[in-house]
Amino acid sequence: MPALPRSEWYDLTRDMNWDLTYVTEDQAFPPALSNSFGVPAEDWWTWDEPYKIAYTEYVHNQAGKDQGLFSVNNVVSRSSIFENLDPGWKAAILAHYGAIAVAEYQASIGEARMARFGRAAAWRNMATYGTLDEMRHGQLQTYFPYQALNKEPRLDWAHKAYHTNEWGIIAARHVFDDMFTANDAVSTAIQLTFTFETGFTNLQFLGMAADAMKVGDLDFGALISSIQTDEARHAQQGEPTLKVLVKAGKTDTAQNLLDKMFWRAWKLFSLLTGLSMDYYTPIEHRTHSFKEFMEEFINKQFIDQFRDFGLEKPWYWDQLLNEMNWVHHAYHLGVYFWRPTVWWNPVAGTGPEERAWLEEKYPGWNDSFGKYWDVMGDNVRAGRPELTLPETFPIVCNSCQIPVCTPAGYAAGYLDSPLPYQLVRDGRKYTFCSEPCQWVFEQTPEQFAGHLSIIDRLLGGIIQPPTIEGALAYMGLSPEECGVDGNDYAWATATASKTA
Amino acid sequence: MAVTTRKPPKTWSLLGEVRRRPSVYEATAAKFNYHFRREPAPFEMDPTAAINQWYLEHREGSPFNVEDWEGFRDPAKLTYSDYVSTQHDRETYLDLLIDHHEAAGSIAKLDKAWVDTLTALLVPLRFPLHVLQMTGLYVAQMAPSAFIINCSNFQAADEMRRIQRLAYLTRLLANEHGDTIAATDTAREPWQSGEAWQPLREVSERMLGVYDWGEAFVLLDLLLKPALDSVVNDSLASLAVANGDEFLALMLSEFQRDTARHQAWATALVQYAVEQDPALVDVIRGWMASWEPLVDAAVAGLADLFEAAAVPLSAADVREAAAQARERVLSAAIQ
Repeated sequence: MPALPRSEWYDLTRDMNWDLTYVTEDQAFPPALSNSFGVPAEDWWTWDEPYKIAYTEYVHNQAGKDQGLFSVNNVVSRSSIFENLDPGWKAAILAHYGAIAVAEYQASIGEARMARFGRAAAWRNMATYGTLDEMRHGQLQTYFPYQALNKEPRLDWAHKAYHTNEWGIIAARHVFDDMFTANDAVSTAIQLTFTFETGFTNLQFLGMAADAMKVGDLDFGALISSIQTDEARHAQQGEPTLKVLVKAGKTDTAQNLLDKMFWRAWKLFSLLTGLSMDYYTPIEHRTHSFKEFMEEFINKQFIDQFRDFGLEKPWYWDQLLNEMNWVHHAYHLGVYFWRPTVWWNPVAGTGPEERAWLEEKYPGWNDSFGKYWDVMGDNVRAGRPELTLPETFPIVCNSCQIPVCTPAGYAAGYLDSPLPYQLVRDGRKYTFCSEPCQWVFEQTPEQFAGHLSIIDRLLGGIIQPPTIEGALAYMGLSPEECGVDGNDYAWATATASKTA
Repeated sequence: MAVTTRKPPKTWSLLGEVRRRPSVYEATAAKFNYHFRREPAPFEMDPTAAINQWYLEHREGSPFNVEDWEGFRDPAKLTYSDYVSTQHDRETYLDLLIDHHEAAGSIAKLDKAWVDTLTALLVPLRFPLHVLQMTGLYVAQMAPSAFIINCSNFQAADEMRRIQRLAYLTRLLANEHGDTIAATDTAREPWQSGEAWQPLREVSERMLGVYDWGEAFVLLDLLLKPALDSVVNDSLASLAVANGDEFLALMLSEFQRDTARHQAWATALVQYAVEQDPALVDVIRGWMASWEPLVDAAVAGLADLFEAAAVPLSAADVREAAAQARERVLSAAIQ
């Protein structure tokens, strides 16, 4: 090994900052791709990453990690582990691959934006590793499902999802484009690396890795644990960026960036992770409820972290705590009811034992959400499963792009009104699921105002014919791909046998 | 939208009916860049939002465009995993090279005149090489297909590799021959105001202001980088040999392996594009003509420094080598 430790020479790879004279600052760092928020160039040069790594260490580590991972995949793909996975768990990983795989590759574009438009050489280097990392994650999370495509054709969605207008994917694109693919470098550091990766990625990746190992899905568990080790490194671009902003007196700017993306991340994760943790993961393998995970990882650990930097809890904190009790239960009902509109087979997860677990974790669940499942169970048992399927469309939020569930929140006693929030701007009426979603929209309306939600497209005649069938075709779902009950309604008969 | 059939699919539905199952390299890149030419705008936000307009103008609106970019392939067909595994081996080689010369005390044996030459010529290089890294990452984030994005990202990482090894060497020089060699100002001052470096700084800064993805690619990969790589990996290596510095010469020739891979994909991309649309030759030549004088001046500025070495290399030879390197890339790209 070369004699000098990294600490003796690495600073010489971090000091390539100079005064531009042949072009202006704005010409080399245009605000659309690199918003300085008024912090002078030389202040950015103090950017100091808490964790350093040399290229040589990077390739040595990563080559070893990939080798280990491919060995696991090689063994697992020849086994029958995938075929024997619980249907609920399959729903969780199918949802994950569709929503996350190609999105992670897009995060390499966000990282490359920081690697080009980050305002300090040290930052650009860190982001160069981040760019490579996200290419890795995009490729691995398509390679693994590609290897299992012959066992589960729905894994095609790991690749095709982002080419479609499936409603959940519209919601995912809307938040991820805002967060990294179509964001400026400085905001990306706060919103992708600090808010999302330091905060929420923990939820999906650490939480699901633990569950995967319990379920016996070695492949998925090894995959996302390995990914998380990269995330933990490149997520550290957020902290130094935050420090530069705070030191320059731009705490309000940082707070605003964090508040916007924290809410947006919450909405997406309550849909993706909320359902996976509280309904799809087999009950015997659950480690915590989604709410407990949120309380531990986000409300305790993450809050402490941003308080250390002089930031505060977002202004809507009470509304977040309120939604943690009910919103993902409402989303689960919606996804199950509108199951033909998703690419996985949702399981109900509401057999007698699961209901007891839900009641324990969310006191009052039986009286609030359980009663809808009672009705659906009655219909199934009466031989009328078609009554558990939709004939109409929900209203979709113009901010998070997820169906508005305020009536369910109201009926469960968590909201004062079942009505959505509405805003008229330049003659167009926008609908929002919550006050923070409206607030996010109003922070940068130029970014969102001309966007059409899937329901705007339906009402505007873009989706033809404007029927369920027409909408399914628009969403890229063939009849074979439309989601069906993942357990063939076993939950309903399980309820009947228990109560009979 | 393609329909999933009941029989086990051979590959992703978006790749259509295929006779041969696409390789892992293809399956983990094909059609990943879903937002290129997406309607009504690349990104899921207001179509008139600034960044949508940026991509529409500089990517979709670039004169360097063909009907289908998805057919381009990296001649090295590197996945991420291939890349880190290849570079893991190459870095092991460099580690061993450094071990050998550290054990031999090679750096301590360098004479003062050569150390002065290195201080003037090698030490400031990390600034312009960093601009090559930055521009590679710009080309990548704007490129229309993942097959192109991947090549340019790997290239940018290779630039960082070269910078880091040269930084290591700079530190070794400083430890043996005077701490100021490793001071930031020893590199930044010449870069910022030394006469020899100003033409290179000018073209580098101006390149940072080029946002059409095709023009950025042409300026970086067909002009400035072939020229600068020739000066660094080739002429400086020759100068090192002439002045008894085998260590540096071997290290630089290792970087030439990376450069060869970069030039292979860049020329393959031009060949692919021109095959689709022969009129692109004029677009490329037009950009080259407008940037050539600045690139020539940049090389000429550095070439003068080669004449100051104890055993010099003539500035004319350095310029000629860079011109030939550029010509080789161009003639491989446009036959």
